[in-house]
Amino acid sequence: MTFRSALAARARKRLAGIRRRAQDPRFLRVMGRFVHEKLLVVNFEVPLHGEPIRLADVLWAGEVEPRLLELLPALLVRRPSLFSDRGALPPDLASAVAALQQDREPESFRGIAGQDVHRWLGRLGRKGKVPARLKSFRFTPEDQRLLAHLAKELGVSETDVVRRGLRALV
Amino acid sequence: MLKEVGRELDAWMIDQSVAAVAAGLPRMRPCVIRVLGQSALFEAHLPLRLAATRDVDVRADYDDAVRREFERLLLARGRELEPLGHEIWMPRETRYTDLLHGKLVRLMVAEPEAVLVSKALKAPAKNAPLLTEYLALGPSARFFELAKKYAVPLEQFA
Repeated sequence: MTFRSALAARARKRLAGIRRRAQDPRFLRVMGRFVHEKLLVVNFEVPLHGEPIRLADVLWAGEVEPRLLELLPALLVRRPSLFSDRGALPPDLASAVAALQQDREPESFRGIAGQDVHRWLGRLGRKGKVPARLKSFRFTPEDQRLLAHLAKELGVSETDVVRRGLRALV
Repeated sequence: MLKEVGRELDAWMIDQSVAAVAAGLPRMRPCVIRVLGQSALFEAHLPLRLAATRDVDVRADYDDAVRREFERLLLARGRELEPLGHEIWMPRETRYTDLLHGKLVRLMVAEPEAVLVSKALKAPAKNAPLLTEYLALGPSARFFELAKKYAVPLEQFA
């Protein structure tokens, strides 16, 4: 048996377990809810589910579809009503949620990089609710004139002028 | 979905270009948008069960106005342009195929083998079930070639 065929045989065995779990009502309910909420897009049939889901089911289903785990901590912060139970969180999840509540990048959560978990904080829930921080800069009178001129010309705030300028430099 | 977005973006750019020329301004510069990540896998129509978050990863050479219109078109379809999508690591040998070759927009998709190698190397935990499924279905020689070159430890997925 070659390396490739041995690898394929082992993968088929593991896949059988994954597929069995993917047929489980818990997995279907969780996926159905995430798809219903437009949090995930899929290329297979999932019965849409509009009711709150159990946290334990999400953690379980996340072993089959880890993108559920990527979204979970930010959802607990931004959209807690998606879950029927938000009581005692497992320590790793509680730590990730605590970090997000302070707008900090958490440690990796069940194999998902902290930055992947953190990036959803600003994208879920109400728009414009991303924590913004005050920063002070000293501008020369010429800078200030330019900032005011650009803000007026573009019809945006001076902060937005700086934001756009930053993105233009990326 | 992406092809449709590309078509609409192309039409918008043509309109903008016509208006710019009429106003004596320079016409819009053609652009190439390369689709990466999970969105590229969706477009490859592989027999894999795929799930993706709503963000779309691309590497593109468009101007900011085009990026904003692209972003708007994606948002209208419930998708979001990932601001850091261009930072995704892809094998240097990645081949791209045309999804749309418009007048001003060329939309290209990364080959699935390169996308999967990128995922296996940079985010193995997040993509483990997907890679197990791919390995079980019998990967292409191209995948093994790229996996070998970048020393991807494939055993962890099987």
